[in-house]
Amino acid sequence: MRLLAALALALVLVLAGAAPSFDRLRELGGQDRDGVAVLQLDDFIKHVVREDRDYAVVVQLTALSPQYKCDTCHAVDRSVRAVARGWRRQQQQQGQQEQRKIVFASLDVEEGEDMFRKMGIDKIPRLMIFPAAKGPHAMANPTAREMKLSPSNARPEGMAARLAELLGAPIRADVPTDYTKYATTAAAVAGASYAVVLAYRHVDLRRLGRNAWAVATITFVLLMTSGFMWNRINAPPYMGQTRTGDAVLFAPTQNQQYGVETQIVASAYAACALCVVLLVRHVPRVSGPEQRTLVTLLVVASLVLMYSYINSVFRLKMPGYPYRLLLP
Amino acid sequence: MGGSSKVLGLTAADQASLLRLAILGLISVVAIGSRLYSVIRFESVIHEFDPWFNYRTTQYLVKNGFDKFWNWFDETAWYPLGRVVGGTLYPGIMVTSAAIYNALHLVNVPVDIRNVCVFLAPVFSALTAVATYQLGKEVKSATAGLLAAAFIGIAPGYISRSVAGSYDNEGIAIFLLVLTFFLWLRAVRLGSALYGALTATAYFYMVSAWGGYVFIINLIPLHVFALLAMGRYSNRLYVAYSTFYALGTLASMQIPFVGFQPTFTSEHMAALGTFGLIQLVAFAQFLRGLMPARHFQVVVRGALVGLFAAGAGALVVLTMRGVIAPWTGRFYSLWDTGYAKIHIPIIASVSEHQPTPWTNFFFDLNLLMVLLPAGIYFSFRELTDNHVFLILYSLFAAYFASVMVRLILTLTPIVCVMAGIAMANALEAYLDFRSSSNNDGGGSGDAAQPADTQNSSSTEPSGAKRMHGWLGRTVVVVNLMYFLWMFQFHCSWITSSAYSSPSVVLASRGPDGSQHIIDDFREAYYWLRKNTRADARVLSWWDYGYQLAGMADRPTLVDNNTWNNTHIATVGKIMASDENTAYELARRHDVDYVLVVFGAMLGYSGDDINKFLWMIRIAQGVYPDDVSEQAFFTAGGEYAIDDSASAAMRASLMHKLSYYRFNEVMGQHGFDRVRRQQLPTKVELSNFAEAYTTENWMVRIYKVKELDNLGRRHRAAMAFDGGS
Repeated sequence: MRLLAALALALVLVLAGAAPSFDRLRELGGQDRDGVAVLQLDDFIKHVVREDRDYAVVVQLTALSPQYKCDTCHAVDRSVRAVARGWRRQQQQQGQQEQRKIVFASLDVEEGEDMFRKMGIDKIPRLMIFPAAKGPHAMANPTAREMKLSPSNARPEGMAARLAELLGAPIRADVPTDYTKYATTAAAVAGASYAVVLAYRHVDLRRLGRNAWAVATITFVLLMTSGFMWNRINAPPYMGQTRTGDAVLFAPTQNQQYGVETQIVASAYAACALCVVLLVRHVPRVSGPEQRTLVTLLVVASLVLMYSYINSVFRLKMPGYPYRLLLP
Repeated sequence: MGGSSKVLGLTAADQASLLRLAILGLISVVAIGSRLYSVIRFESVIHEFDPWFNYRTTQYLVKNGFDKFWNWFDETAWYPLGRVVGGTLYPGIMVTSAAIYNALHLVNVPVDIRNVCVFLAPVFSALTAVATYQLGKEVKSATAGLLAAAFIGIAPGYISRSVAGSYDNEGIAIFLLVLTFFLWLRAVRLGSALYGALTATAYFYMVSAWGGYVFIINLIPLHVFALLAMGRYSNRLYVAYSTFYALGTLASMQIPFVGFQPTFTSEHMAALGTFGLIQLVAFAQFLRGLMPARHFQVVVRGALVGLFAAGAGALVVLTMRGVIAPWTGRFYSLWDTGYAKIHIPIIASVSEHQPTPWTNFFFDLNLLMVLLPAGIYFSFRELTDNHVFLILYSLFAAYFASVMVRLILTLTPIVCVMAGIAMANALEAYLDFRSSSNNDGGGSGDAAQPADTQNSSSTEPSGAKRMHGWLGRTVVVVNLMYFLWMFQFHCSWITSSAYSSPSVVLASRGPDGSQHIIDDFREAYYWLRKNTRADARVLSWWDYGYQLAGMADRPTLVDNNTWNNTHIATVGKIMASDENTAYELARRHDVDYVLVVFGAMLGYSGDDINKFLWMIRIAQGVYPDDVSEQAFFTAGGEYAIDDSASAAMRASLMHKLSYYRFNEVMGQHGFDRVRRQQLPTKVELSNFAEAYTTENWMVRIYKVKELDNLGRRHRAAMAFDGGS
């Protein structure tokens, strides 16, 4: 509300100025690659914050220069540009007759810092809509309004759909085809299929056979069961840090984990399973009874140690857990 | 079973099967027993939120009979929309309970339907153990089967969904899942149409019980496809799959909720495609007899690749053109893990739909997690058709479980079977005393072979005989027994401490260890039931919908069957709006009472204020102009409820209903025990009147005031009455 009040104030201040000009904004837009009018503060006050406009303006208030490190601003900027491109193309296709007067514009914080401060804008980016007040497409309520940026309408398609709804105009986004993505995918597919063909020709699958498949399967299952997807989705840091800068391997709560935990736990599971497999398949083949007993004892000792280690890590993450094996 | 000594007139083989039976019986007893903590500690009621719907419909079924149940239109749910209950539920669990109830009454056991429902899941867990035993026996040996049965009997991953009082679909569905897989494996091994038909029957029961049947109808075709790709086509496979698919699909279409989906949704297309494929392969096998082998191979390979590509392409095209319904949102969120966050906050909001950190796996499966990779390895050593199935099952279940916490449930059976295989291998290798008795005598070492087939006995004939000295043997066995011993403690402890605390009734312990039961939910629902009109509409967040309907017997606006996102968003909007807007909206929706759950007095963290952010997000998804998540954070980006809270937060209905008059009990400098913040100093409420607040302030019920007689705003009327 404070924002709108400030806008009204600015309006009063500049009412004496020159008449609002759609052409000036369009000219600014024409200078831009995507048809977004990059505004100076002066233009913003003269041509956007006016009540007697016969055209609608969609303005993003943003901070694009790298010093602000505003990733969201760039994301929203890309969307606005995609929508502006789509609108420009649509207008060109329609030709001169019956054009809707809609301008997409951008006001950067560097340009309008004082203005922003006066308006009490503390969050950026924002998308403001200034509907037309006169003319054939005037809205019943021409006050400026903000379009909330939710995850879905910060993306080009969502933004276009929402704007189309708000302005009653057929706005569609022009999302550039991401050829690099297609190219990399195609290259990956081609490479993979070539590798498959090569493997098929040169590797004796029967001989490699089961063990390779077994290793691949077990690796996948181990990764999955030690929280790999959790890492993918939540993107935790690889390791934690204490105040003194020492590395912390395990996040101290049950519902969080560091990236390295998955690796540690998966390896520990694998080591335990390896011990079991050794006991069943390989230990019996050791020749000589004494050696065999010795190997048995070694394998069992490592199994117990490994399992105790997992258990102790689990205790660390779940403080109330009452059972422990060898390790604390 | 060396020797022909008879005990009690039984041969060794008979003794073994008697022992197995006894062990299985004991496992069943343990499986049931360890699920009874909650009933013993509290009482025999339905303990969770969701199952109240199942319970209510079961009551309806028992009272009114099957026809009425099938055609039931429930006008009290989703007011004013109503819900076609018969066509929108999986009736398996209700029909099961009703059948048990009727059977017991037939033999004059006058048991209450509530008790049937409460104890259904534990009883079915015993059946699950038996089915798992059969599955383990099918793929390995009776030893592996018994171990697997014991594991699944007590594994917390399964107990979490099947304690007494959790009357949930999963309670019987896991049994059906294991049973279907067991029958399928046997059908494949025997090539029997009978077992194929039995598989289809079990599958039909599963379809009627749980939406997770989609897992079966994708996993079995995948198994068939993998076998075909491995060049393992056999007539046994053909008979088993054709029987199963044809009968199973026809049967599944009898469930109204599923209907014609098997013919047009993507989830079922893999099964259909595989069915077509296996017909072609069978035809190719027929051609093989008529062609030279070299030509034949070329033909088959070309055809296989071509058809697969064509089929997949057709699937994509048909899906894009809308002939085949695309995957539903829930399934999308399984593959594209970012999908739910952007498009369907209601799915993302459910905590069991979150990805799984590793602690959850270890928490739920413990020792079994360690044995799982070993089990997979041993399966690869043998690799019969059955083992291919087990491996595929573990791959997919592991992926799904890592994406969604709740799907650990489907992972648990295969982990138990795999762990059973691994443990049985180890025990068979080290507990086989037949060779040790022959050790000195130097008899035939044949019996001492470990289970794997490629044993080296031929290269080392005398070594295999004296396989293990007594020391190595003892150490290994003691170690394994020690692990099993600890596992059993772990399971009991987890079950007792984590999975046996109901959410309907809460318990707290005083400083002297005495137990204090917190029964606010039932207090509130009972108050509603006794003190309001039978048709009074109660508005609450959807989590409490089923309970309200079941316990208070009052119409609700939204409930746990979250089929209508807009309606839920409307409720979220009412909660997030300021009082006047909320009043207007509530009047328009004919709301009589508003119910909020509030934990600040007890420190109950699952209350509505903590869920409030999700309400706002869901409301914002539908009403982006009216509700904004940002507005509910302070300038510093904090989620505050005290005097520093944002204006929208303090004005919101949820905040007001929660904290109204709370100062009066907690004092002016009181403290919110959940948020650990000061209480807001001033909360005014004019359009809603406090109707009832429970003992521990956990549930607060407000009446939506009638319009003022003189047409004034309620605020003005209150000021006038107050004399100011």
